[in-house]
Amino acid sequence: MRKRKTWNDVIVFAVTLLLAVIFFFPIFFNLMSAFKSNGEILRDAIAFPKGLYLESFKHLLFKTDFPAAIGNSFILTVGSILFMILLIPMAAYAIERTNKKWTYLVYVYYLAGMMIPFQAYMIPLFKELKMFGIYGSLSGPILIYIAGSVGFGVLLYTSFLKGIPREIEESAEIDGCTKVGIFWRIVFPLLGPCTASMVVLQGLGIWNDFLMPMLVLPSGKPKTMVVEIFYYIGEFSSRWDMIFAGTAMSVVPILIVFLLLQKYFVKGVAAGAIKG
Amino acid sequence: MTSALVPKKKKKKWVSYSFLFILPSLLIYTLFVIGPTISSFYLSFTSWDGVSPEARYIGMANFEEIWNSERVHNALKNTILLTIALVILENVLALALAMLVDQVRWFKNFFRSIFYFPVLLSGLVMGFVWTIILNYNFGVLNRLLELAGLDSLKTDWLGNPDYALVSIILSTVWKSAGYYMIIYLAALQGVPPELNEAASIDGANKWQQFRHITFPLLAGAVTVCMMLSMIGSLKIFDQIAVMTDGGPGFATETLTYIVYKVGFGELRQGFGTAMALVLFLLILIVSIIQIKVLRRREVQL
Repeated sequence: MRKRKTWNDVIVFAVTLLLAVIFFFPIFFNLMSAFKSNGEILRDAIAFPKGLYLESFKHLLFKTDFPAAIGNSFILTVGSILFMILLIPMAAYAIERTNKKWTYLVYVYYLAGMMIPFQAYMIPLFKELKMFGIYGSLSGPILIYIAGSVGFGVLLYTSFLKGIPREIEESAEIDGCTKVGIFWRIVFPLLGPCTASMVVLQGLGIWNDFLMPMLVLPSGKPKTMVVEIFYYIGEFSSRWDMIFAGTAMSVVPILIVFLLLQKYFVKGVAAGAIKG
Repeated sequence: MTSALVPKKKKKKWVSYSFLFILPSLLIYTLFVIGPTISSFYLSFTSWDGVSPEARYIGMANFEEIWNSERVHNALKNTILLTIALVILENVLALALAMLVDQVRWFKNFFRSIFYFPVLLSGLVMGFVWTIILNYNFGVLNRLLELAGLDSLKTDWLGNPDYALVSIILSTVWKSAGYYMIIYLAALQGVPPELNEAASIDGANKWQQFRHITFPLLAGAVTVCMMLSMIGSLKIFDQIAVMTDGGPGFATETLTYIVYKVGFGELRQGFGTAMALVLFLLILIVSIIQIKVLRRREVQL
């Protein structure tokens, strides 16, 4: 009996390992090819690199808009996230703790937005940014990201707030603490797990977003990292070394952040999936 | 306790606080989601090109064109095919991966991370990686076929209309299976092992245990995952933009892709918006079904 059990484990392990190799292969192939010269790639796509060919990275980092695009992606992600975790918990707190008809209506109004896909309103948005005179600045996309996350964020935070007892807030109020003080000093820290989910989920979505920044950031200037990679297909369609290096550069930061925050990623996505 | 101890005056003040707390997000949300959605309804009745200052009202003409257009019918067919294939394949693979990762004895977390990692990539970068793998001349897939002595199977995977959609489907399965795997894994952890042990003592084999114990207990996760993958498939965009641009011909053009192509590539934003609203309606119907089904389950639990 025991022996059979061990065999069973070995078979399960072997199958899983085989699938894992197949699964990781595309990423491994991409990272490996980033260190090959164009000639090497064309000669034999699956051969290992002869040495560490770093010219494509040097070219991308010192002679193109890539660094500026990385900077833009960073500003968009951090900027949007900061405003989201400032404004959304505030709204959710007011909605959950004020049992009034109007707050319920606001809640429903926010949730309705979760069903509107970006494609449904992207064309008028473009016009609107021009009307407000913010077309071409990074504040446009930041506002769009915040607006797009309100529905999901409010849902996540209100359901989390339901599990936090009100007694602490009430006693703080009796001690003379203001509502703003109660929120920032007592409630906000308690929302930590929820905020972590928001940061991971929305941060990843913004960092990876392609359609929106491509549409609303002006052409001719560095856009975001993902959009810049898209333009490289057209520009460098025969320079495969550049393309591999560019995609590798966008994969590595995610890989590092994922390895560091693995726990939060899995939890965040699980929470998002069940709510969203 | 609240009303007895908190003075009336403070209670009144709280209403204004809650209004101030809600106001900033309410403004941004109204201006950048609801406002433009309402303008889309108006724009869908115009022949606006996206450039000229005035949008000309043309009534139902855009919707009539959608109803009659061969291209839209083709895109609808592609969207439905893609959605059915993705929902089935993603869920079957995700469930299989979850079962394996749940049972494997060594390197559990390592495997979970490997299967999950593609989820973190942007659809565009992922599409890019696959474009390179599927390239006819030196793509790694054709190269592997060559090495295996199967030269006759070499194909231009993305340039051949027969295989382009299949290529997009399979690469998307690779990208998203890990996401659903996490949900199934969470659900599997809720299956009490005693049930399977008891069944195995009673002589049930592995398949019978799965069929009659594990799977019924996963029903909730199955519903969630199927709905999520359905909505995800209806919205698919990045991969198509980078892998095929809707081609060859119109072989991989989906509803989302038409909205973008027509609106920005062909400067027919009125028509593009009308298309977007049709897509919105489709997603709305699926979401409402989702909420209904999930509510019903909540009652049962």
